Amino acid sequence: MQILTTPFFGIFLSLIVYLIGQWLFKKTHGLFFFQPLFVAMILGITLLVILAKFLGQDVANLYNTAYRPGGDIIFWFLNPATIAFAVPLYKRNDIVKKYWSEILSGLLFGTVISLFAIVGVSKLIGLNHVGTASMLPQAATTAIALPISKAIGGNASITAMACILNAVIIYALGGWLVQKFHLNNDPIGEGLGLGTAGHTVGSAFALKLGSVQGSMAAIAVVIIGAVVDLVVPIFSHLVL
Amino acid sequence: MSQKNKNANIKKKTQPAPLLAQMGIYASILFISNIISSLAPASFPVPAPVVGMILLYSLLSLHIIKVEWVDSFGAILISLIGFLFVPSGISLAANLGIMKAEGLQIVTVIIISTIILLLVTAYTARFFIWLKKKHPAQTKNATTAKNVSVHALSRAKGEN
Repeated sequence: MQILTTPFFGIFLSLIVYLIGQWLFKKTHGLFFFQPLFVAMILGITLLVILAKFLGQDVANLYNTAYRPGGDIIFWFLNPATIAFAVPLYKRNDIVKKYWSEILSGLLFGTVISLFAIVGVSKLIGLNHVGTASMLPQAATTAIALPISKAIGGNASITAMACILNAVIIYALGGWLVQKFHLNNDPIGEGLGLGTAGHTVGSAFALKLGSVQGSMAAIAVVIIGAVVDLVVPIFSHLVL
Repeated sequence: MSQKNKNANIKKKTQPAPLLAQMGIYASILFISNIISSLAPASFPVPAPVVGMILLYSLLSLHIIKVEWVDSFGAILISLIGFLFVPSGISLAANLGIMKAEGLQIVTVIIISTIILLLVTAYTARFFIWLKKKHPAQTKNATTAKNVSVHALSRAKGEN
């Protein structure tokens, strides 16, 4: 057990499950079900559950004592990685300067319409008040979404789950969705959508599609954060 | 156009900054943005990495930092994001209790919400861009249409 509580275990586990994911993805010629991030998540959780059973421990407890020390070190590098998106954004400053008002209004109105749709879906599927409130801030990155979720009476763990799954879903299904709904006809909207729905991971995905998409996703991450900060508390006050 | 060419020339001439120098820039920006982030009020959270992105973008736009000082290290970080997100995915292991209770409903809503956010934002933005293209296009089209018709007339006259 003592061996597991050093950061080495978390880093080792993260790398191994991700590499297995990459290998499977290559072997299946890019089957979306075997997206490396998705495989790594499922495999990592499964291994922790098995290990917890084996050691006779609670999974959450094992996660906190064994995986987190290493996981947090990797997680920290998301900070500089998010900052790095300023570079692709700056490289397509021409698009930003030309379409800034359309970008702003698209993100603002897009968020408000999405919020109504999300409330509708939550009610339809039968989430309670806390569950519905937890779904509202998910367009923002976790650091913004969690405090807002708490402030409007949501459950921060459910919101965190939403923010994380957003990214995993966009990474796994983004290509299929883009094709299915012909989003590539308009690279600006495509990038803004991927950044809003998939956050930083969505932006990395968008950057693979093109420089315009990548820069638009990066600007979406910043602006949606501010929009969620301002709009969601008012919206939940009026609608919920 | 000329500016773009100049930029291209500069890029060819200058080498990317050494890796440690690039890391130093990122570390400095993170440190400063973390201070700014901690000053934000609790009701309006602004996370340090988002502040940092705005800060680096501003410094690049003001030409205080050159692209080649931050470009190659940034590209490495961005290319690793799928992997860097693995701990977040595995962190759901701590929330398996919620999953057991009402997990199916929550996950269903999250999947649909993700698709809603993607499509609604993409199409709303497309609508506003379409409006912009349509509106100035009306006046521009009118003038170009005039020019075309004038050209056509002169051509027709010439041919005659």
